[in-house]
Amino acid sequence: MAFQRCKAAGLGILLAASAGFAEADEFTAADEKRWEEQFQAVAQKGRELWTSPALGSNGLVCAQCHPNAANTHPETYPKFQKQLGKVAALWEMVNWCIRNPLQGTPLDAADPKMIALQAYVHYERRGATLAPGKH
Amino acid sequence: MKYCIFVLCLSAAVFSSLAAAEPLGLPTVPIPADNPQTAEKIRLGERLFNDLRFSSTGTVSCATCHDHTKGFTDSPLTTSEGIKKLTGTRNAPTVLNAAYLKSLFWDGRSPSLEDQALHPFLNPVEMGLPNHEPILKIVRSDPAYVKAFSAVFGKSGGEVTMKEVTQAIASFERTVLSGDSPFDHWYFGGDKDAMSPAAQRGFQVFVGQGRCVSCHVVEQNQALFTDNRFHNIGVGINRIQADVARLAGEFLKAKAAGVDVDQAVLTDKKTSELGRFAVTGQFDDLGAFKTPTLRDIARTAPYMHDGSLKSLAEVVDHYNNGGVGNPKEKVNDFLSGGIRPLNLSTEQKADLVVFMTALTSQPAADQKRSPRP
Amino acid sequence: MNPLSRRDFLKGAGALATASVLPVNLIELAFAGSESFSFAYISDSHIQQIRGTEFVRNWDRGLMRAVAETHLLEPKPDFIVFGGDLAQLGSKPELDHGAEILSALRGKVHYVMGEHDYYLDLGEYWQKLFGPHFYSFDHKGVHFVVLNSILTYDDWTYHRWPTPEQRMQEMAGLDNPNGSPFMVGEKQRAWLEKDLAAVSRETPVVVFSHSPLQKIFRGWNFWTEDADEVQALLKPFAKVTVLYGHVHQIQYHQIGNISFNSAMATAWPWPYPTAYRQGEVYLPKLTVPMNRADPFHERDGTGWQLVNLASGNVDVQYTLYDNRRRSVVFSPKTGGPEDSQYQDPARRIPPQTHY
Repeated sequence: MAFQRCKAAGLGILLAASAGFAEADEFTAADEKRWEEQFQAVAQKGRELWTSPALGSNGLVCAQCHPNAANTHPETYPKFQKQLGKVAALWEMVNWCIRNPLQGTPLDAADPKMIALQAYVHYERRGATLAPGKH
Repeated sequence: MKYCIFVLCLSAAVFSSLAAAEPLGLPTVPIPADNPQTAEKIRLGERLFNDLRFSSTGTVSCATCHDHTKGFTDSPLTTSEGIKKLTGTRNAPTVLNAAYLKSLFWDGRSPSLEDQALHPFLNPVEMGLPNHEPILKIVRSDPAYVKAFSAVFGKSGGEVTMKEVTQAIASFERTVLSGDSPFDHWYFGGDKDAMSPAAQRGFQVFVGQGRCVSCHVVEQNQALFTDNRFHNIGVGINRIQADVARLAGEFLKAKAAGVDVDQAVLTDKKTSELGRFAVTGQFDDLGAFKTPTLRDIARTAPYMHDGSLKSLAEVVDHYNNGGVGNPKEKVNDFLSGGIRPLNLSTEQKADLVVFMTALTSQPAADQKRSPRP
Repeated sequence: MNPLSRRDFLKGAGALATASVLPVNLIELAFAGSESFSFAYISDSHIQQIRGTEFVRNWDRGLMRAVAETHLLEPKPDFIVFGGDLAQLGSKPELDHGAEILSALRGKVHYVMGEHDYYLDLGEYWQKLFGPHFYSFDHKGVHFVVLNSILTYDDWTYHRWPTPEQRMQEMAGLDNPNGSPFMVGEKQRAWLEKDLAAVSRETPVVVFSHSPLQKIFRGWNFWTEDADEVQALLKPFAKVTVLYGHVHQIQYHQIGNISFNSAMATAWPWPYPTAYRQGEVYLPKLTVPMNRADPFHERDGTGWQLVNLASGNVDVQYTLYDNRRRSVVFSPKTGGPEDSQYQDPARRIPPQTHY
């Protein structure tokens, strides 16, 4: 009886497979497009934050010193960062800028605003070769 | 380069072990190729360092102002006292970790330990000698020195010059190290209980809102607490703000006419406030002084180039105010761009002070004294 | 210490690497012939109001420092030029606060309009404070022209935006895709042509302009739309120098008979446009970049300029804080500006690598 059930289960699985259920990391072109749009929306939000005085308390915005996120070099992180005294990740340096020139409150690493800022920074720097540790 | 040192009597700050590695938290000591370390050279250097005869009155040696029981300074003196208790304009910097400095003196006018040793002998408010001849006379004739110089350098009589003398002194100074503090054990040694919670909070202020770390450098696996650079942080120069243009112009004209910088800055209080400008003549060095190390800082009060800040709490207040002692005071025009109001809370300020006391190498203040020559 | 030798001064090297606080005869001896003189050139202070009487401390201190340092100059500069962008959003409080800081300058001051000063009220308050938007003057045999080179298409200026405030905000963002390219414009070019007609071809000409009068990078308005037309008007003259602001970094170039030299900002440095991967850039090839700035030191990468006119060509000494001071001098040998220390690629130092 158990064997019958197994066979039935096995047959069921085969049937299920042939019916087109996705397994593992299978995705379609439509998925990719949708996810890309979601990323772009977050990067766009990052751009808004990049030019928003709300991140700090003195009216300064990131774009004033980093137009188009230039001179942020996201491709070089993690790296030793003088102002932090240690090898640090990009988000920690973003927080340094929020705290110091912008005189604002640092964000949590997982804060959607921090994710958005990083998405924007990386997007503007797309195509740069990875160079972790580079000063 | 490994070396063995047999150190006879030292403050706890000097590392003494046949393993010969630097204390925890410090990088390898840079040794110049033309002045390698040997045990005998270091001993000779220490004797020279302590020799009172190298002053015009026979009462002042290097150790007078760089006392090993006081963190190699003359705490609590504001400005040092030389012969006849004459005072200069500046607070004695520590010799601790001077081996890592890229320039010596508060204004960096000396490029090496060897060169630095030449100058205090001749300064009228320090050792007051007219030239180096009295020193050479002693080292060429005193039997103990004759033996030592011969053994260390293979030289005797007229061959023994100030080069050998200062090389020996520098060799000794390169063993005067401070590391292995509670901070080092906590930060580099992985000992979670090595520093108190207050000190740990203070460290976060140090690398965060306090903005200390950019000049008082801490790195991934070492911490020298100095960037070897010069900054105007608003000490001293605030008093001469109205006179800066005139003083700067007069000083440069005098310098072009041959005035000795070493003498000028130590004997005239206002000139002293020009800081590194007296050495380089560059605008952005106006009122700038070298970042000192913070190691053993709790032992070396008072603070700053003129000894004007009596306690670490006062120092923290000065920075918290953005480079003025009193928040209502006018900030000087040449203030370093790194200095700005910090808005630290009372607790943050207290924690910062506690953190700095954790930079004292352990055990603290060994009271053993060096042997007399 | 040896007194500074004349040779060291001429090389611009040695401890005293600037023409400051030196006896004037050292300068005069070097250059036979026409009279040489110097002026201070301060630019791009971007005084920014937070609220009420509170202004961004960083920018205030940058301008104050530059003003204080000009007091140290000996001999005194003949005059001072302010290169534009005194304010950040062109408001009356900002312009007033900036004018107050500049009032400590000793000597005659000539003002150049920047876009941050202009686009709120189209320069109306500026005119009240400082005078005309464009003009010329002569000094010791040199003809100086001040242009308002940050104008743009009429449509954008007059019809595009619902409020002056928004117009100013849109122009204030360097990388704002809603911006519009700078230009001198037809009316001013006609005035320039007439002005230059009265000047002999041998007279040295120095043009002050906020925008570069070149086409460097459109994305950040390092750009003058009618650069070619303006350069054509300057072509007939033997010695022409354009001094421009706006870029907040060291740039210099030679196009034909015209030397171009940029000014630092007293407020903050900008990345070199070559650091932006997604745009097409024509950075003047000659330029040896300034050292990279450490953002901890707020004055790093900011500064002001001492401009020396010797024999009609311009030498610029950049006073940069916490950074390496630079000297860009006109070389008769190459017929253009070059850095007195670092022009040779073999002499570059790592901090000059920007990427």
